[in-house]
Amino acid sequence: MRADVAHEAHVLVIGSGGAGVRAALEASRHGETLLVTKSVAGKGGCTPMAEGGYNAALREADSCVGHLEDTLKGGAYLNDLELVKVLVNEAPDRLRDLVRWGAVFDVTETCEVAQRSFGGQRFPRTCYAGDRTGHEMMMTLLEQLRASNVEVLQEVTVTDLLTREGAVVGAAVLDRTGRLEVIRADSTVLATGGGSRVYDVSTNSATGTGDGYSLGYGAGAELIDMEMVQFHPTGAVYPYDARGRLVTEAVRGEGGILRNAKGERFMSRYDPERMELSTRDVVARAIAREILEGRGTPRGGVYLDVTHLPAAQIEGRLPVMLEQFLAYGVDIRKEPMEVAPSAHHFMGGLRITPTGQTTVPGLFACGEVAGGVHGANRLGGNSLAETQVFGKRAGEAAGRAPSRGQRPEPRQLDLIERRLEGFLSGMVNPVMVERKLQLAMWKGAGIFRTGPELTQTLMEVEKLGRKRLHAPSKLNLAECMTVHHLCTTAMLVVKSALLRPESRGAHVRTDLTQAHDAANSPFGHTYLSQHRSGIEMKGGSP
Amino acid sequence: MAVRVFRWNPAREKEGKFRTYHVEVQEGARVLHVLHAIHAEDQTLSYRYCCGTGQCGSCAVQVDGEPKLACMTEARDGMTVEPLNLPVRKDLVVEMEPALAQIAPLLPKGQAECPAPEQIAAIKPLRECIECLACVSVCPAMEVAEFTGPAAMRQEMRLALDPRDAGGRIPEAIKAGLFTCTTCQACWKVCPKKIEIPGKAIEKLRALANREGLTLPRHLEVAELVKETGRTVPRTETSFLEQVDEVIEPAGPVKATVGFFVGCMYNLRLPKTALDAIQVLKRNGVRVIIPHEQVCCGSPLIRTGQLEYLPTLQQKNIECFTSRNIDTVMTMCAGCGSTLKNDYRTPFTVKDVNEILTEVGIEPPARLPLTVTYHDPCHLLRGQGIRDQPRALIRRVADLREMAVVKCCGAGGGTRSGAPEVSKALALKRDEEIIKTGADCVISSCPFCEFHIGTFSKTPVKNVTTLLLEGYRKKDEGKA
Ligand SMILES: Cc1cc2nc3c(=O)[nH]c(=O)nc-3n(C[C@H](O)[C@H](O)[C@H](O)COP(=O)(O)OP(=O)(O)OC[C@H]3O[C@@H](n4cnc5c(N)ncnc54)[C@H](O)[C@@H]3O)c2cc1C
Ligand code: SF4
Ligand code: SF4
Ligand code: FES
Repeated sequence: MRADVAHEAHVLVIGSGGAGVRAALEASRHGETLLVTKSVAGKGGCTPMAEGGYNAALREADSCVGHLEDTLKGGAYLNDLELVKVLVNEAPDRLRDLVRWGAVFDVTETCEVAQRSFGGQRFPRTCYAGDRTGHEMMMTLLEQLRASNVEVLQEVTVTDLLTREGAVVGAAVLDRTGRLEVIRADSTVLATGGGSRVYDVSTNSATGTGDGYSLGYGAGAELIDMEMVQFHPTGAVYPYDARGRLVTEAVRGEGGILRNAKGERFMSRYDPERMELSTRDVVARAIAREILEGRGTPRGGVYLDVTHLPAAQIEGRLPVMLEQFLAYGVDIRKEPMEVAPSAHHFMGGLRITPTGQTTVPGLFACGEVAGGVHGANRLGGNSLAETQVFGKRAGEAAGRAPSRGQRPEPRQLDLIERRLEGFLSGMVNPVMVERKLQLAMWKGAGIFRTGPELTQTLMEVEKLGRKRLHAPSKLNLAECMTVHHLCTTAMLVVKSALLRPESRGAHVRTDLTQAHDAANSPFGHTYLSQHRSGIEMKGGSP
Repeated sequence: MAVRVFRWNPAREKEGKFRTYHVEVQEGARVLHVLHAIHAEDQTLSYRYCCGTGQCGSCAVQVDGEPKLACMTEARDGMTVEPLNLPVRKDLVVEMEPALAQIAPLLPKGQAECPAPEQIAAIKPLRECIECLACVSVCPAMEVAEFTGPAAMRQEMRLALDPRDAGGRIPEAIKAGLFTCTTCQACWKVCPKKIEIPGKAIEKLRALANREGLTLPRHLEVAELVKETGRTVPRTETSFLEQVDEVIEPAGPVKATVGFFVGCMYNLRLPKTALDAIQVLKRNGVRVIIPHEQVCCGSPLIRTGQLEYLPTLQQKNIECFTSRNIDTVMTMCAGCGSTLKNDYRTPFTVKDVNEILTEVGIEPPARLPLTVTYHDPCHLLRGQGIRDQPRALIRRVADLREMAVVKCCGAGGGTRSGAPEVSKALALKRDEEIIKTGADCVISSCPFCEFHIGTFSKTPVKNVTTLLLEGYRKKDEGKA
């Protein structure tokens, strides 16, 4: 295996989700741009799966300040204020870009983009295209990508970011035949999405394996708040092999009722005021508690019931849910759904500036792989906006960055090659490592966490990370790399969770009692890189 | 469960083969989960997937010969999983990029205003496409013509409907093969999102082409003829209607009464076949009422996008039956049947002759010493969902040997006149399949198929009812 520089570009974008494609479109205005993606372009990632919508303050009666305040409150005030300002101010313009490019959002009678209410927001500011908003955005972006001069390499997996003197100068990739290639670039944009697949139960697509966190960490970048994992309260539990599949929040929005196996409407014990419409973290914890304490269904969920609603309402407002459940033999007009929490979103990620610059020169990040926008808990609808706002910014900054012309260090390439060759003589089936890791994370770093369990989980994760993975042929090298990244990402989550000695937003330590509420927490971001780790204190510098 | 999976590494092996795997999955598992289970034990299996929820379009494969999304299709013990009928890269992974590259992007005019609600409503159904290429994998026209295919045509129509698009979509679609589609309906029947591409995109694009004066000259001629004569084919021999009375009483007691919608082809090109059918109906207790003022159903106009004269035809046809208080109208032409069922709003029920004969139950004919094969007319199989009835009828008379693939013969959608080379190429492919069966005779149930296959195949072609009639004749000879 001898990797030569196979491709050169001014900007290399990694990932073809909402953030990656937006970044590539922008970067290509400034120089030669190459986009690489593990999937067929646009088919990977979570963007095409997003159902609910895109938050933007569009109306007179709404305001960016309102959007900002809702986002900070939802994020338990852990958000990076500068990033949130950028998000709320630019979300409307980026939405207009999509409209200009042909996005088919639902519209009002007066031809404005229609908006609906989403959890934690004082104004209905979530723009939507039925219940396939992300897919609509992805299709729109893909069309523009196909029309642009961006070069696209599909089904190519990035194994490592390549560095020279502390700066990122490109990436090593495995092509679809398993051959290692080198891409040299002046700037590199990471847009690899999230990592919720480190858990046994997850809503994410197959690429949600956290590659980007691991790639960034490997290149020396600093990550923040990696312990902040959003668990969606309602993932499907049946069939078992498809567990975790998202049951949209709209079901509760339409009036869905949660009951435990004893038939109790248990939300009255957790949030009597908002009941089922409480925030995601509260509902997720309530459901998890019911199941944990033995009041779950035999399949390990609780009931989510819409049978009291008129059939016409279900058919008209929840068509995709109706159709999906029917396919699994459940008529939600007549029987309740069974749901349980499912790992959904990583709020943390690479530390970025408002232009998407990471802590490493030459490396930019945008979308779910970046941290700071959502704080300790994400509002539904803010991520799709994030992909566009920060995708454009990162693409632009990467495009404007000077040419460097540096080549990767040969020594790093040697190491990469040796690791890949190791897989060919490895012993352990990566699928088994993945399964064990997911179970360990679900058990020890899930919704409820304690110090001792986290420590124990860290040991298990690190042990799994040291396994000598086996690739029967070169075609399986990418898969081994993915499991390698999965292990690193899990390690980052657990280490960060150990760094935060409080319960905040999505991070709950049941073994700690605390006097402060989120607004008065003395703590800021957790941070972690190859060089340092810790937690920021409010009012002091890290 | 036991599963047969297609395995092929073209880099190493000349051809692929099936391997049987035994794996355990949980109740309710999908095909994708079975593939995961296989892969956990045999890492060398390659397959594509991503979202796992029917949203990304990565995972389409053939399950028991039908294109399906692996992630949404329930797994079944004994099933066979194969790649889509597209160039195979490895195992279940096919090349998608060339087909995806054909999908045209919107050319922005630059305005940031949204289309009106009714425009959005028109575009939306075409927008649900997840680019899984199931449709592309079954399109017969793409195999023989320069045609970008159903997924790309869907996109052309989506763009044509969008006021924000600056592209000239109609000339583009024509260049991309708009008139080579036979409207066989195969694409949308396999579409996981049930996007009605032939009706909602192809025929609509052809209608837009008509408005822009871009209808093919041959199609214009047909429309002219319909306006002049009420028929799509000129009279060259005595027509069926000229040979029959308005009411034909059955030989024995009346088991059913139907109005008969004859259609241009049986009336003017194959009147003998229609007369055969009348004999069979007569013998089986069906009273047939044949309004002589009936005209063309309009199918050739709809398929080619020439809608102007359609309402006139529809009104005439509906009236001729309602004025006689007929509540069941029988069609014999698959195209007419599909049109009356799907493009008309009729106050009466429409049934195909195969349905009628099955319902009344036929007198057993004598067996003929023949091995036959059956060609499914697209507009009968997919247009009307009729598959088993003609087969059961055929088996009463002769041995039936199936062809390996079900596919369009190339007669429909105006391609026979508009794109004759495409139409011929498809017929020749069909003939190859016919020859492979070694059958003495091809049976079908559509005048277009019968006429078209008859033109290009050496094997004789007969209608289901003609075959039955031959069975009766033999029976009568035996008695005499
Ligand atoms: C089921 C579901 C529903 C959601 N609904 C909503 C919603 O309604 N509103 C909202 O705002 N948010 C929603 N979210 C969250 C939102 O969809 C994601 O946060 C967002 O789409 C992430 O976009 P992205 O571009 O950062 O990454 P993704 O869309 O995840 O794309 C990542 C890309 O990176 C590529 N990639 C990954 N690793 C590699 C590698 N090693 N080499 C090469 N390429 C690689 C992948 O192939 C993929 O193309 C939802 C999430 C899920 C899972
Ligand atoms: S109707 Fe038949 S020929 Fe036309 S696009 Fe669909 S599959 Fe192809
Ligand atoms: S039209 Fe249907 S079958 Fe064809 S690519 Fe789109 S979703 Fe798939
Ligand atoms: S895996 Fe995405 S559609 Fe099946």
